[in-house]
Amino acid sequence: MSLEILLIIAFGGALLTYLLGKASEKTRDFVAVIISLSMVAFVVCLYGKSPEQTFYSGFLGLDLVLRLNMLSWFFAVTIAVIGALSVIYSLSYIKTREKTDFYFLMMLLVNAAMLGIVLAGDLVSFYIFWEIMSWSAFLLISYNKGSALAAGMKYIIMSIIGSVCFLVGMLSLYVSFDTLNISQIASAMTSASPGHILFILTAFCIAFGIKNAVLPFHTWLPDAHSEAPAPFSAVLSGILIKMGTYGFLLLLYVIVGLKLFLGLGRGLLSFHSILCLLGAVTILIPTFIAMLQNDAKKLLAWSTVGQAGYIILGIAFGTNLALAGGIFHFFNHAMFKALLFFAVGAVEFRAQTRDLDSLGGLAKKMPVCFIATLVGICALIGVPLTSGFVSKWLIYKTLILEGSPFLAFFALAGTWGTILYSYKLVHNVFLGQLPEKYKDIQKSPASMQLPIIVLSLAILLFGILPGIPLKVINTIGTSFGFETLNVTLWGITSETGTLNTINIFSALLVAGIIVWIVFRLGAKSVSVPQEDSYAAGAHTPADKYHYTAEFYNPFYRMIKPFLRDVIDEFYYWIASSVRSLAGNVRRIYSGDVGYYVMYIIFFLAALIFVQMRWKIW
Amino acid sequence: MENMVVKIIQIILSPILALVVGVFFLGLARKIMARIHWRYGPPLIQPVIDMVKLFCQKSVSHGFMFDLGLILSLAGSIVVVLFLPLGGIAPLSGSGGLLVILYIMLFAPLGMALSGGQGANPNISIGISRKLILSLGYEVPLLLVLLAVMTRYKTISIVEVVSAQQSTAWSFISFPLFLSGLSYFLIFPAILGIRPFDTASAPQEISSGPMVEYGGKYLALATIEHAFILFISIALFVNLFLGGAANPVIFFVKMLAVFVLGLCINAVFPRFRIEQAVKYLWKWPTLLAFLGLIINLAMRS
Repeated sequence: MSLEILLIIAFGGALLTYLLGKASEKTRDFVAVIISLSMVAFVVCLYGKSPEQTFYSGFLGLDLVLRLNMLSWFFAVTIAVIGALSVIYSLSYIKTREKTDFYFLMMLLVNAAMLGIVLAGDLVSFYIFWEIMSWSAFLLISYNKGSALAAGMKYIIMSIIGSVCFLVGMLSLYVSFDTLNISQIASAMTSASPGHILFILTAFCIAFGIKNAVLPFHTWLPDAHSEAPAPFSAVLSGILIKMGTYGFLLLLYVIVGLKLFLGLGRGLLSFHSILCLLGAVTILIPTFIAMLQNDAKKLLAWSTVGQAGYIILGIAFGTNLALAGGIFHFFNHAMFKALLFFAVGAVEFRAQTRDLDSLGGLAKKMPVCFIATLVGICALIGVPLTSGFVSKWLIYKTLILEGSPFLAFFALAGTWGTILYSYKLVHNVFLGQLPEKYKDIQKSPASMQLPIIVLSLAILLFGILPGIPLKVINTIGTSFGFETLNVTLWGITSETGTLNTINIFSALLVAGIIVWIVFRLGAKSVSVPQEDSYAAGAHTPADKYHYTAEFYNPFYRMIKPFLRDVIDEFYYWIASSVRSLAGNVRRIYSGDVGYYVMYIIFFLAALIFVQMRWKIW
Repeated sequence: MENMVVKIIQIILSPILALVVGVFFLGLARKIMARIHWRYGPPLIQPVIDMVKLFCQKSVSHGFMFDLGLILSLAGSIVVVLFLPLGGIAPLSGSGGLLVILYIMLFAPLGMALSGGQGANPNISIGISRKLILSLGYEVPLLLVLLAVMTRYKTISIVEVVSAQQSTAWSFISFPLFLSGLSYFLIFPAILGIRPFDTASAPQEISSGPMVEYGGKYLALATIEHAFILFISIALFVNLFLGGAANPVIFFVKMLAVFVLGLCINAVFPRFRIEQAVKYLWKWPTLLAFLGLIINLAMRS
């Protein structure tokens, strides 16, 4: 019963918010926040329970089932938390815009649909919620009009292709097993032939790969993420694309099962290694493209593609450490990417631009955003003591010890590329000289700062005590049939290498304090304005400081020729050739009756010819 | 209990040891460079004299991050020393192995970059940009090298890498790892940031880049930081390829040999432009490291 109530509150709350918005904006905001917070509370209370219930039977003779297990709980709690924070963040972000009722309706609808997806116990309800999510996301991406419309269109076209693949896979399953209940399919799957499994895996992997933006299906993501309103970018990057991750987990570990999945094909030509390789390529190439971006949100969007690669690599590699790393990285990415989009959105909200070449020096003006961005990029890079480190450590370790150093190389090299673009982000927005026009820039409003602070603290907490999420992830791993990991509150112990974050933390803390004391003992320093800097005797002019523009210029010149997005160009080529083909087909309808008479006569003549020649009828 | 005391003593001792050796290297570097240039050169303890002087001088600060970045960077370097085996002394090496070392080594450049970034000086931005590009340049072969070592010894723990070498032979002279070791040696000047790879600091060109706004105690701390980085880079090489050592004395002798060899390269080469540096790093060292990793992988299975 409880799962139904959860979804009824989620969907009903979305409608209620919309209707209340017609009467009073204040009540609407209040109700939206209350509903999304109650989702969090509700999901948290469900921890450890595993209800299963049929909420509607008789749809094509199939039961629609809702169920909860550790995997869906973990995803549900992430969705609820990030969703609630983004609603809180939206309050002041969206205030001055038009159609705010519609915005909140869609925002809550997306969150509700995502909760539906992870709670769905059969593929039909999964598909229904999946479509609700896709379409409301489309409306939100296009919310800003202008170039956002094109981005939304690109997204929805790719999304539909994914849905079609999903339907094909689903029908194939239904035809052979006569059921769409996930657990029933899972037990029937052992009797399926390898060819059939491969077909199903491919169909679903395209569907989930498009959502999760795995290369070569990533092209919708950079446009959609940068054009959407900032709070929705956070949802989009933090959790919406992770529905693809959830799909992958469900497909590979629940429906098909680890043994069948790893047994498909041999050596480098197996499904498992191709998926790993796709993950690895998805890490490396987008990371380098991200370095070339001058739009803060576009940079983060490309980084999302890259980070999704780590998750896929972890999940596809199929050892318990890799799986734990992949799921943990999903969780971390939801936190730090939402945080980064929030912070960049807060800057955009005040400065009215997110152009990395014209911003700068905002650290003193917006300290909360600065610190948050710093924490966010540290987690993105995987600096120890942020949660991003632990998940990456798990993935690297298993890749190295299981004898896949080249995959590990892709993953590690991706991290070093990440340093370049994340430093560019923090330097070009917050460090360097403060331009004259931003002298009087305000701090961001409190309702925008709150989600930022909450997420920063969470990242540090789970970085120092990674055992909290790892315990849940461990339960998920054992439910997939893996051995349990030896998890402690501050890391993982095993014979092949121990991680102890509390040691690192205390060592760094003590060393920091000692250095600070030494620093204090030295002669006092005086604070000087930014213009007072050394320029070899010359005067450093204010507001003429362009060295942040094209920050890695020498490197750009080297790599730019190699980094064309050929896949995107290929899709555009397909789109334009379909368009021109359709244009040519259209010419048949000339509007001249004489032509139409001619078509009819030609057609009849052809029929007569066929009949005379081959005597078909 | 006795174990605990030994460990605490080691924790206190090893950063001090690293500092002393690092600063000694800085002094020695100036002396040797001078001799190669046919000058007399400053006394060995000149860096210490400079540091004491700098600590007593007035300095300027450009804000909160300007101070914090430097402190963070130095703290990070001290922690790395605790994770490195220094001839049998390795107080914290059990907390995550080589991967953790690799990652904590990030604190130093990242802290410096953040601190410098708030300095708001064009020279700093150019310097940091070059430093980050250069580090991407040498990380590619370096990662391949480290992966080859970890694949060969089937461990991510640096202590086990050292003990495996002590029971057999140095990795540098054992066949498949020889290629990786050679590659490591070819990128070594880039890791240390000495000529021909001193493009990030480039004193005559961009006024020492990231260091340009530092004066007084900031410059003193940055020098200490430099000493630590020098120590860490060399110690890592000695541990991974020259078999570490059973006691600190032999360890430091090995470090000294590597360092003097590096200095000789530094003394005679002109400076690469940053593109040239990356092109060089991604050509021969990467190729060697790549070959090394492939052969290692093939021999493993």
